[in-house]
Amino acid sequence: MRRYIVYAAVFIILLSSCAWHGASLTDPDDIVYAPLRFEPPKAQRVKFENGIILYMLEDHEIPLVNISAVIRMGSFYDPPEKEGLAKITGTVMRTGGTKSKTGNQIDEDLDFIAGKITVSVGTDSCTLSMSVLEKDMDKGLQIFSNLLINPVFSEGKLETAKILETEAIERISDNPQKIAFREFRRLIYHGDPRGRLSSVESIEKIERDDLLNFYKRFFRPGNVMIALSGDIETADAVKKIKSSLGAWNIPGGPGKPPTPPVRVGASLNYIHKDTPQSVIIIGQSAPGKESSDYYAFEVLDFITGSGGFRSRIFAEVRNRLGLAYSAGSFYSPRTEYGVFGVYAMAKGSSTVDALSAMTKILDNMRDRGVESGEELAWAKESIINNFIFSFSEPSQIVMSQMMLEFDGLPDNFLTNYTDNMEMVKSSDLRYVAARYLSGESRIVLVLGNKEKFSKPLSSFGDFHREISGTENQEN
Amino acid sequence: MISGKSLRNILLECLAITCLASFFLCIPLAPCSAYDLKDKVKEFTLENGLKVLIVERHASPTVSLYISHETGAVDEGDGHTGTAHILEHMMFKGTETIGTKNFEEEKSTLRKIHAVGNALDTELMKGENADVQKTENLRRQLDTLQKEAGKWSIPSEIDRLYTEKGGGDLNAFTGQDLTSYHVSLPSNRIELWARIESDRMANPVFREFYSERDVVMQERKQTVESNPGRRLIEQFLAAAFMVHPYRRPVLGWTPDMRFLNIDYIKEFFRTYYAPNNTIITIVGDVSPEGVMKIIKHYFGRIPSQEVPIRHVTEEPPQSGERRVKLVSDASPRLIAGYHKPTLPSFDDCVFDIIDTILSGGRTSRLYKALVEKGIAVDVNTTNGFPGARYPNLFVIFAQPVSPHTCGELEEIIYKELDILKKEPAKPEELEKAKNQLKTDILRNISTNSGLAGMLSYYEVVTGSWQYITKFPDLLERVTPEDIMAVAEKYLESRNRTVAELVKKK
Repeated sequence: MRRYIVYAAVFIILLSSCAWHGASLTDPDDIVYAPLRFEPPKAQRVKFENGIILYMLEDHEIPLVNISAVIRMGSFYDPPEKEGLAKITGTVMRTGGTKSKTGNQIDEDLDFIAGKITVSVGTDSCTLSMSVLEKDMDKGLQIFSNLLINPVFSEGKLETAKILETEAIERISDNPQKIAFREFRRLIYHGDPRGRLSSVESIEKIERDDLLNFYKRFFRPGNVMIALSGDIETADAVKKIKSSLGAWNIPGGPGKPPTPPVRVGASLNYIHKDTPQSVIIIGQSAPGKESSDYYAFEVLDFITGSGGFRSRIFAEVRNRLGLAYSAGSFYSPRTEYGVFGVYAMAKGSSTVDALSAMTKILDNMRDRGVESGEELAWAKESIINNFIFSFSEPSQIVMSQMMLEFDGLPDNFLTNYTDNMEMVKSSDLRYVAARYLSGESRIVLVLGNKEKFSKPLSSFGDFHREISGTENQEN
Repeated sequence: MISGKSLRNILLECLAITCLASFFLCIPLAPCSAYDLKDKVKEFTLENGLKVLIVERHASPTVSLYISHETGAVDEGDGHTGTAHILEHMMFKGTETIGTKNFEEEKSTLRKIHAVGNALDTELMKGENADVQKTENLRRQLDTLQKEAGKWSIPSEIDRLYTEKGGGDLNAFTGQDLTSYHVSLPSNRIELWARIESDRMANPVFREFYSERDVVMQERKQTVESNPGRRLIEQFLAAAFMVHPYRRPVLGWTPDMRFLNIDYIKEFFRTYYAPNNTIITIVGDVSPEGVMKIIKHYFGRIPSQEVPIRHVTEEPPQSGERRVKLVSDASPRLIAGYHKPTLPSFDDCVFDIIDTILSGGRTSRLYKALVEKGIAVDVNTTNGFPGARYPNLFVIFAQPVSPHTCGELEEIIYKELDILKKEPAKPEELEKAKNQLKTDILRNISTNSGLAGMLSYYEVVTGSWQYITKFPDLLERVTPEDIMAVAEKYLESRNRTVAELVKKK
């Protein structure tokens, strides 16, 4: 059955009459709005014989075409001791040339037509993206498909990539937030490949054969999905993709990576770095998108710290106490699992005050959930009303529809989203808060200089680890 | 990382609702377009001088709304650095009808708070001679009064109203040249925007001033003091400009920020947030007639006022290289910049081409000479730093790969600049740069907020958004000889400022 996601179509002006004539201003809460009826365009899905799946949406506003190939690979598959291999493979696939052209020739051709091709490598996916003028689509696609099918990973470009990556890793120590969030990742995924991070040593060990093997393992048509949008007719796009990638035939490919083990045991971790501001992160495991707890947890996250000024962490730590400029929460749900946390950057002397305030907010949420109907209604209304922005750009619509299939989520996930959100009750929130915010699995991470703290961190409990700022290589 | 396009506005400070969001407002360096903007932009001016630009786009029922005031950090008086930026924060504190339970009661408490706050600042300005007992008393009074005011105020109402109605990207940006307020909304909710924005343009109430002042001090700690790159930029600008206000950071200098003054901020607001000093830009699913009806109703009643002629101290010509060093425990970095005229001068347009030839893409000259060879981890150039209402800088940023040094980078960079002066660029290279500049614009205007941001930026900085449509012709006129001449004229060592981050031994 077809469903309307958000309710309404064209903009109709409806001035509330008292605002129009009255001398005094309408209460902003009393403004009456015309309904918004909108059925987001549905991307066309095509499965080619070799297994490649294409999602396609026309958009003729601007003479550009965007294309993204998503491949199931990523840092999750980095061999132990060679962390960083997935990323380097992605980089050198882009720079290292193909069977017909050197990397430099490709760059020249691409820059001349002002095309852009980038690679990004995540934990369990790699995305090769291109943006090109509609008139240069054929030239662009030829380069794009050759990078995908025929990369040669030249030795010279590998050397350059390793040098640059090594320097980038060394420069992480200049960025306190980056150090802290990397370390948090290591802690939350302890004992799982997701928790292993690249280092100068691991990059050093990577060789060209590693790239070739890694490429062979993952780059297979059955392991690739493509999102395409822009100023091109659907039939034409399908024809072009078929002619450039249709003959690529290598069966197989890896399945989805296993879910990380659920993290147990609380810990308090301190990273020493003499910086003007401490970085504080408190986090734990959270439900994935396929869990029945997902919608309630989205609301929980919104109320805790990602719902702007009114959210609890922001209102308390930043606005009421003035302890931080940035403070809030983050929730990154994948299909089967997720991570949730709260963070703040506070000046050294306020570190422990900020940490206490944050802990109190988490404890309160865990013990009481959300008691005020008003707060719950505010969060739900905000999330539901904002959902339309998931459909504001064609490239984003086609990508999100494709990612549902890539992530193994039901294809009505987005269409049912607002209805599911609507059903969240305060009892659901209480349930997920109690279930996921247990103090027993909470990871607390503080980066800063404890000499400057006004109270000792130990007032918080026992230290589990003290990590020095630059050498954070522990597993 | 090699495209310097987002750097133009690196010094815009914003409200940063989430910490991990980037604080750049990405406005492309040089406008241009195969997409015909001319017929798409509808222009209106209200009787009070408020200008409105509207572009219809009906792909989704959403709309991006910008309000830009032609004012920024350049307009601050000495000793008041940070005013434009904290004003932008204060604009989120509500109005006489938004954010209060009883404004009459609240008003008198706020008046007392500001009086006590001013007295406290005056005492603290005495430094070591401040009367400890007196400051303690004032502080206690301030605390009590702030608690009292808290009884009447409803915090974060503007944010609540927008968020609840589906608002996205709610943020504001303060730069040297302009200050912008942005939100995206479902397109049926424009009246909410007009109601809130017109009210805060006419009757803002600066609640929670002293705690917000603490927040911006934290903002500085986070975005500048904890960030070696930003600290170096600050030192660089203070050296490159001796007298022009571009020498000062948008966030302000810490000693000024401690004493940011509520009366001065109010005056700044009254002077520069006038409707006749403001541009509204709207891109999305709207009908211009319908929107204008709402805008006239809500904004039309705000009286226009005289905006003073601004005298800004002109920067004298530089007559010798300046060098600054910042010693820090961070890895080395280099910044080198040259004074130049701003847009809409032809030379500025030539610099857009130079910018692209030097660092636009993997085949650009500096990328090949530095990054490709493993000598620098990245290199960027940017044309029009740190603002564009006044003559500005062409700047090169680079970070060496260990064990290479900033000195080595300088040598290679200057050699490339010399080649610009001596050898005419090949026609293919020039054409490539022009293609890139044109296509970058298309990418930037492909989103509603990108187009809205660009229209308001060029309207404020050049006096007309039509600079965007004229730009392609300007670009076409640039010849290899122009590049050589401009390089020769400006890219010389006596016109150069160099800042270097040196790692503490």
